[in-house]
Formats: sequence, structure tokens, C-alpha cells
Amino acid sequence: MKLLGFRSTVIILFLIVSIGGLMLLNTAFQAKQEDIHAAIDGMELSEQLRNVAFQNSDDSLKAGQIMRDYDSSKALLSIALGDSRVVTSVVLLLVMVASSAIFILVIIWLFRPMNELKMATDQIREGNFSVHLPDTGVREMRELKNSFNVMSRELEYIQNKLLVAEKEMIWKDLSRILAHEIKNPLTPIQLVVQRLEERFQSDPESAKDILPESISIISQEIENLRLLAQDFSSYAKVSQPDREQFNPALAIREIVKSYCQNYQIDLNLNDNLSISFDKTHFYQVLTNILQNAIDASRESDVISIDLHEERCYVVLSIKDHGSGIDPKDLQRIFEPYFSKKTKGTGLGLALVKKLCEANGAIVRVKSKKGEGSEFTVIIEEDKA
Amino acid sequence: MLEALGAKVFSGIVAFSLLMFSSFEGNDPRFGPLSVTKSDSYLYLSGHLISAFDNDFPSIFSSGTPIPIHFMLNIRKGNRTLVQRRFTHTVTFDTAKGVYELNKGNGKDALLTRSVEEIIKEVSYYSFSIPYQQIWGEVSIRIQAELPKLRFDNADKDVDLMVLWKYKMPSVKSTANLLKAQ
Repeated sequence: MKLLGFRSTVIILFLIVSIGGLMLLNTAFQAKQEDIHAAIDGMELSEQLRNVAFQNSDDSLKAGQIMRDYDSSKALLSIALGDSRVVTSVVLLLVMVASSAIFILVIIWLFRPMNELKMATDQIREGNFSVHLPDTGVREMRELKNSFNVMSRELEYIQNKLLVAEKEMIWKDLSRILAHEIKNPLTPIQLVVQRLEERFQSDPESAKDILPESISIISQEIENLRLLAQDFSSYAKVSQPDREQFNPALAIREIVKSYCQNYQIDLNLNDNLSISFDKTHFYQVLTNILQNAIDASRESDVISIDLHEERCYVVLSIKDHGSGIDPKDLQRIFEPYFSKKTKGTGLGLALVKKLCEANGAIVRVKSKKGEGSEFTVIIEEDKA
Repeated sequence: MLEALGAKVFSGIVAFSLLMFSSFEGNDPRFGPLSVTKSDSYLYLSGHLISAFDNDFPSIFSSGTPIPIHFMLNIRKGNRTLVQRRFTHTVTFDTAKGVYELNKGNGKDALLTRSVEEIIKEVSYYSFSIPYQQIWGEVSIRIQAELPKLRFDNADKDVDLMVLWKYKMPSVKSTANLLKAQ
């Protein structure tokens, strides 16, 4: 059972103490009244006087008057007793209702700022620092609200500064990476062009000899530039996954076929599995991880691709025996633009993570420096 | 109308308050079934008031002060009042003799008795005769009982006897078709 809140507890305690106290007082008061009434009732004065043999009519008249007065007083007492009980009860009820209503209203009035504070704190937690509390309530609450408003303003100011700084940092990083990545292919192109120019000036006839090689280098570097642009574009435009059911083992064999001619890839695939994944995304995930494994391995190293079922999940693991990843870099390898390779944008693994998340999958990495790395993609099995 | 509603609300509050906060018994008066018979010219109404005088009233009746109990009769046809009359039973106690006297104001001899139980029984029974006209047709009959505010011999202010009924005015209703032969 959910515990009562502070406000409810205070209200219940107040009602128990106040109503209980009033009822106790009333009971004691009524018991005393009852005692007095019983004592007067027990006197039976009239009955006693009626049985007295008076000497003369004057005595009888006086005794008659005494009896009337006494009986009348007894009747009045009965009525007064009833009247006092009725009045006491009604007044008690009215006092109880009025005091409870006033108390509840006061409690609500006192606690409203706390509710406002709670809601404002929730908004802060959700990242909305522009929340501002009105200057209402008791003095202490106004001071608290004022402190809260100052805090939220400061947080908002810091958040804005952080956002600006973060944007600036992202642009700086991006500019640096782009400049670096564009400069890399431009340098060989520039060198080839200079070489051709020099050759044409010094010995135009022999320039023809180096022309095919120069064109090949330029084409290669242009291709690199195109791939660079493609990488950035892919990362920026991860589309909504168009998930479809397929056999991952078949897809892996198809994708890996072109790599098998140049690299030693060992496949250990369970052919009876099915997943629901965007096929293009699956291709991008596998090729990115595989390319990383190839880049990290020597030509003689074997890369193992394993596909198996584990509980209700399909587990795809790509393991290389290359250089491995430094433990301090392991935490950052899925960050955009983080790369330790001489070539590359640092977007490959970031893209892998993004694509896996878009398809409800998880990507993990285990690595040991000098022994190699293992990337594992865990995908929910589609048994339908 | 509003007055009657107010009285009902007030008696409800009193009853609830007493239930919550008091051991005061008082009386919870109510009417038994109303008996309606008619002759050629008169309508005879009779019945009992129940649980109206059991508590506190023995000492009130014994005070020596005449205690009136009012019965208000109201005969209506639709929204029109045809008859509105008040009958009073009065109980008086002769302190010296220890005898109760009940006068029902109907021209008959007063009842004299030493027994408070008998006086309570008799004061609770009412019987009225009202002249009527057949053209009234179907009418609604309502009888309501009420206790007055009274000044006792040795008191300097009026006391409201209704407190002994917890401010509840008992009433009984019935209908009668005066066109039909009895």
C-alpha cells in the first residue's frame, strides 16, 4: 500500500486529535450533567410533602406552592439538559466541520507552493531550465522560490553557454576533420600535377610515360574524396529502418563473398536463424565492422565471423587478430569523428551504433591490445 | 415551503449531531397510520402518535404547568387549502393531589388519572371530526404535531419543548375520496 503523503498525514492527525479531543470533552461534560440530573430526580420532594399531614390549610397551601415550584424546576431542568445537549452537539458539529474545512484549506494553501516547486523541479530534471515560479505563499516559501528561480536562471545561463560551446566545438572538430580528410587526397594530386608540369617543361616526350600512372593516382584520390563525402552523408542521413524478415546467414555469405578473394575470412554461421532488420543497414553494419577488422589485421591474419543463437537473440560476432584497441580508447570508439587510423573519418563505428539502435539491436566490443578485437551485434530473433 | 425545508434540514443536522456527539435520548416521535372514515357530513380522522412522550415528559407533565400538544390538520385539494385547523391536547397536573388532567378540547369531559402511563397513552391518541363537502372530491390530508414554547412558573423566559422531540415535527399524510360512498 502506498504510504500517505505528509499533507494527508497532517490532516488525518489533526482530525483525530481535534475531533477526538472534542468528543472526549463532550462525553465528560454530559456524564457530569447526567449525575446532577439523577441526583435531583432522586430527591422525590413532592411525593414526600404530599404525604405530610399538615396542621392547617395555610401550611397546605405553602406546601402546595413548594411542590409546584419544585416540580416545575425539575421539568425545566429536564428541558435545559436536553437543550444544552442539542446545542452542544450542533455547535460541536459546526465547529468540527468549520475547523476541518479551514484547516484543509490552509493546508492546501500552504502546500500549493510545494507542489509548484515539485513540478518545477520535474521540469528542470527534464531539461527545461526556463521555468520560473511565481512570488506567492508564505515568506519562507517565497524565499525558497526565489532561490529556486535564481538557481534555474543560472542553470539556464550555463546550459546556453554549454550549448554554444558544444556547437562551436563540434564545428571546430568537423572543420578540422574535413580539412584533414580533404587535404590528404589533395596532396598526392598536387604532387602528381607538379610532376607532370615539370616533365612537360623539361621533357615533353617522356611526360607521356608517366601520364597513365598520374591519372590513376588522381582517379584514386578523387575516389577517396567521393567516399569521404559518402561517409558523411551516410552518417547524417540514417533513414528510418525499413525492417524485413530475412536469413542473416545468407545475407552474410553474400556480403562477404567479395572480401573472401583477398582476405582470409572464416565463417561459422547457423543457417536456421531469422531476423527483422533493414537489409541496407545490415549491409552497412557488417561492412563497416569487417573493414575495420581488415584494416587492423595483417594479410595472413584470419578474420572469424560467427552467427549463432543465444536465448531469444541472434548473435553476430566479427573477430580479428589484429592490433587491438587501447583500453582507454575503447570507451570512445563509437563516438563520431573518433579514429586512431591514419585513414578514415571516424564515422564508421558511430554509424554502426546508430544503425543498430535504429533497428533495436545492440553492438558491443571486446578488445585486447596486440591480440585483436571482437565486435558483437545482438539482434532480437524473429521467430514469426 | 422553504420554511418546511429549513426545518427538515435543521432537524437532520440535530439528529446527526446527537448521533455523533451525545447520549441524549429525547424522543423520536412519529405517527401511526391515519384512519380516515366519513359520515354524510363529517370526516373522522384518528390515529396515534408513537414514541413521542416516553422520555423526559413524565417530569414535564408533572410540573404543574399546563402542557399543550398541538395537532395541525391540513386538508388540500391540489394546491388549494380547504381546511386548516389546530387541535390541542392539554395535560395539567394537580401537584397537591397528584392527579393528571387531560383536556382534548373536543367538548368531552376531561380525563383524570394518577397514572402517567395512562396520560401518555391518552395524549398520544387523537381523534378529530371535520365537516366536509362532497364536491371536494379527492383530497390530501396531512396532520402534523408540534410542541410550543412555554413559560414555566418559576422561569423568566420561554423554553422550547420541541427540544424534547429533537426539533423534529412528526407528520402523517393520507388521501381520501369524498365523492365515494362509505
